[in-house]
Amino acid sequence: MAFTAEPHQPGRRRRRPRLRLALVAGAVAATAGLILSGCSGSGGSSTAGGSNTLTVWHYFSDPNQVKVMTDFAALFEKDNAGVTVKNVYVPYDQMDQKLIASAGAKTGPDVVVFNGADASNLALSGTLAPMDSQWSSFADKGQFPSSVIHKLNGKTYAVQGYVNLLGLWYNKDILDAAGVTPPTTLDQLDSAMAKVKAAGKSGITLSGLPNSQGEWQAYPWLTAAGFDLAKPSTSALTAGFSRVAGWVDKGYLSKESTTWDQTVPFQKFAAGDVAFAENGNWQIGTAKSTAKFHYGVVPLPLGSKGKVYLGGEGEGIGAFSKNKDLAWKYLQATYYSSKGQLIALKDSGTIPARADTAADSAVTGDPLIKPFAESVSKMGANYPGTKVPPASVANQQLAGGQAWSSVLGGSQSPSAAAAAYKQQLDQLLSAK
Amino acid sequence: MTTAQRSHHRTARPGSSPAPLARRRRRSLDARLLYVLPAAAVLAVLAAFPLVQLVRMSVSAVTSATLSTNWAFVGLSNFVKSWQQGDTPAALLNTLVFVVIVTALGLVGGFAAAVALRANTKASAILLGLMVFVWALPPVVNGSVWKFLLGDNGLFNSVFHLFGASSFPFLYDTRFALLSVALVNSWAIIPFNALVFRAAILGIPEEVYEAAQLDGASPWQEIRHIMMAAVRPTTLVLAVLTIVYAFRSFDFIYVMTYGGPGKATNTLPFLGYLQAFVRYDFGLGSSTAIIAVLFVIVLAVVYARSVRKEELD
Amino acid sequence: MTSMQPGLGAAAAEPTPGGSVRRASPRRSSTRRRSTHRRTPIAVLSRVLLFVIYGVPVLWILLTSLKNPGDVLSDKATFFFTPTLDAYANVFQSGGLFEALAQSFLIAAGTTILTLLVAIPAGYGLARVGGRITTICLALLIVLQMVPQTANVIPLFQIFGNWGLLDSTFGVILADTALLIPFAVLLMRPFFRAVPEALEEASAIDGASTWRTFRSIVLPVARNGVATAATLVFLLSWGEFLYAVNFLLMPGKYPLSALLAQQVSAFGINWPGLMALAVLTSIPILVLFACTYRLLREGLTLGAVK
Repeated sequence: MAFTAEPHQPGRRRRRPRLRLALVAGAVAATAGLILSGCSGSGGSSTAGGSNTLTVWHYFSDPNQVKVMTDFAALFEKDNAGVTVKNVYVPYDQMDQKLIASAGAKTGPDVVVFNGADASNLALSGTLAPMDSQWSSFADKGQFPSSVIHKLNGKTYAVQGYVNLLGLWYNKDILDAAGVTPPTTLDQLDSAMAKVKAAGKSGITLSGLPNSQGEWQAYPWLTAAGFDLAKPSTSALTAGFSRVAGWVDKGYLSKESTTWDQTVPFQKFAAGDVAFAENGNWQIGTAKSTAKFHYGVVPLPLGSKGKVYLGGEGEGIGAFSKNKDLAWKYLQATYYSSKGQLIALKDSGTIPARADTAADSAVTGDPLIKPFAESVSKMGANYPGTKVPPASVANQQLAGGQAWSSVLGGSQSPSAAAAAYKQQLDQLLSAK
Repeated sequence: MTTAQRSHHRTARPGSSPAPLARRRRRSLDARLLYVLPAAAVLAVLAAFPLVQLVRMSVSAVTSATLSTNWAFVGLSNFVKSWQQGDTPAALLNTLVFVVIVTALGLVGGFAAAVALRANTKASAILLGLMVFVWALPPVVNGSVWKFLLGDNGLFNSVFHLFGASSFPFLYDTRFALLSVALVNSWAIIPFNALVFRAAILGIPEEVYEAAQLDGASPWQEIRHIMMAAVRPTTLVLAVLTIVYAFRSFDFIYVMTYGGPGKATNTLPFLGYLQAFVRYDFGLGSSTAIIAVLFVIVLAVVYARSVRKEELD
Repeated sequence: MTSMQPGLGAAAAEPTPGGSVRRASPRRSSTRRRSTHRRTPIAVLSRVLLFVIYGVPVLWILLTSLKNPGDVLSDKATFFFTPTLDAYANVFQSGGLFEALAQSFLIAAGTTILTLLVAIPAGYGLARVGGRITTICLALLIVLQMVPQTANVIPLFQIFGNWGLLDSTFGVILADTALLIPFAVLLMRPFFRAVPEALEEASAIDGASTWRTFRSIVLPVARNGVATAATLVFLLSWGEFLYAVNFLLMPGKYPLSALLAQQVSAFGINWPGLMALAVLTSIPILVLFACTYRLLREGLTLGAVK
């Protein structure tokens, strides 16, 4: 008996292939439709859609920080009729890669708002356009401290319109209950934490991640012990690591901090069971909305040698922007202007970089902002360290973070971690 | 083309000499090989090119500064440098431990779950549905959930505290961090294996069980002799897929420990990521990725050979 | 005991008098005898255990999505807190949810269609053709799965830049397709192998071309495998996020998976928001899963055999 693929009924044979044909046609049509709809987005909109659109890439998703971007867009559009500002969100982890990848395809945004610490790498990858000519003709350039200007090989690639830095947040209710005042020296901090622990609360939270975040949080304590990136010393590193390792041993600081970025420690602080948090001014909004206790900020009690990195976002012009003049105009009107910096301060608690704006009553009159602003002038340091060659910056931050994390987690003794970090620093600082 | 070849055999009668059949099979072999062309074309452009670039990068000095320019050929120095820095041997060891744990637990757990859920009831279906739903969730969600559950104030430690014990350092002790992440990764892949194993078990005909009953087999013997034998071919495919999955696993480590504490949970994929996208040394990162690829090539060849051998039986 | 090759019987085609091909009904009698062993304490215990270790995390996700951000990390508010729908409200208010949903669907559907278009013939070709070339192809397909996705981004960016496919949904579809073809081919090949050669030979004897045979005989018999692969490809491309985030350059084009990433910022993880979005993102998946569950369950039998 012969099998047949289809029964020998004329009517049926005609219908089945038609059904199949319809299905195939449908699939092809759907695919074609997708192609057409997909392609409608391309063709020029990857950079500026014309001379009237400005694309700004950023990584903000916190509502307060997004508000800064929308306020800036509104400000610029109001004063520049016919111009549209398109703020494009890129996830934080993807920002650098996306910039580098797009530079490889010779495309990119007009303005970039990125993590200031990555400035040298982004400049090296050819994603940022030099802005020397624009900056040198900028009337207010004298208002900006040199620590917020990012240069590579003598060329200016980015400037920070505002600064984020670390301070010592404290829970006033816990301190009062333990009979302690906010510390002004490291020894006072130690004894305060001892008293707080005796009263049943945790001492301090901070980030111990084995990456640049950890290194950023480690730097104040290391410099307070005498560490200097220009001339690293193992004994200073050991002393710095030992003090913090001591906090872990005495139970003031949890080992779990090695898994925390900077947000979990602050959320734990805001939940009310910790006396201190080494954290930043950008948390002001979180504190307001979450903390149900009295809190305050003092500068980190680092002594005379301690320094705090001046972090925050850097702003630059995209290397493949088709609208570099418009991009510069935008930066002048927003991030580099007093008006813009005050908007950023109001919306998200960032510290203005301009000297004149930092003297504004909005800064000096706010008890939470004032300590941070003081720290900028008293102990602010370039971030990343100027003595680190640009090509080695990422390595240096990673090595520092890994050493810090291993000390906090107990996998390395302070002296071993210090020696390892020093060894890597010697290689990195002498490299070119 | 095929129609023309076919018509010349239309006159051959079924059941006649095997030669025409063999000839036709060989010819249709060639024809059907062309079916692979569309996939091969897409992959050649979109997948093979990046692979070639990866290999080229691994033997060149490529940093963020030189990415868009010509790459200087440096031979094996990336591999050597990574080995000397101590990163590669540690990451390799971590990866192997990770792969062994995830594969073993994934397969054993998947099989056990399949056996437990082998009934065709609604309850089993719902439970299996729950498991597969969890498998389909993005790693950032699953990883975050477990990061909380394993934290000092998470579910497990809260229970320990109730009994007066101190917190167990699941994720921040160098000895346990890798194990914890591997356990979570196994948990995430078990549903997929369970689904496949269960399907295989459900296909076992009734007569086999009846025969076993007549022989007086206990439930354990049923499991061992019937079900395990039935899933043996399945186990090969799932083993390969699970090993590849474990070798590539990156998201859970990224979310839960970021390679830490220190470098305790640096596996090859994570190390490659750190080197390429945190330290901006793309050449170094590519060399680490190539090492992982080399390991899997061995596995791939073993699989391909054994599949061919079985099919030729 | 005998070693069985299950699954071959489950969905193999059986000829019926009258000439048309129909599938035998699967698993007719397997349910009856298991009941005696289902109720043993170990069996019950293991089911309870599974329910706990997979149910608790899901419960945790739900609970967190109903919390205030301050309650998430507080020790006291783990189980007892005032629930709030703020997180869900925020997700809807911050806008773009429906555009992202449409984008997700577009990308997932497009990827599934395109992947199947090329992977089905490839799976069939590799199933029927033997020899060294198949071995090489199989090994290659496995190796291709080992290339880290991040390593693909920069080369693909260049390719798409040259072709003008940047910032286009189709570009993302193409990238996802290339990513998932090896998986789909490897998964579908066993289904094609399980189609009895006799059927194909008979069809050839009747004068049908290879293509006709493939279309009319092989595909219907292997449709479970195709449905399985389609569902899995859809699920995987629905959740894919790296390519979407890198190749799309304008706001409003990101799919849901990128919205999820938005909850994880440099400055914090919005836990209630992340979990709320995870719940919302999963609803379409649940719907799809409910529809195709039966196919998945039966279809994966064959894939298990080889």
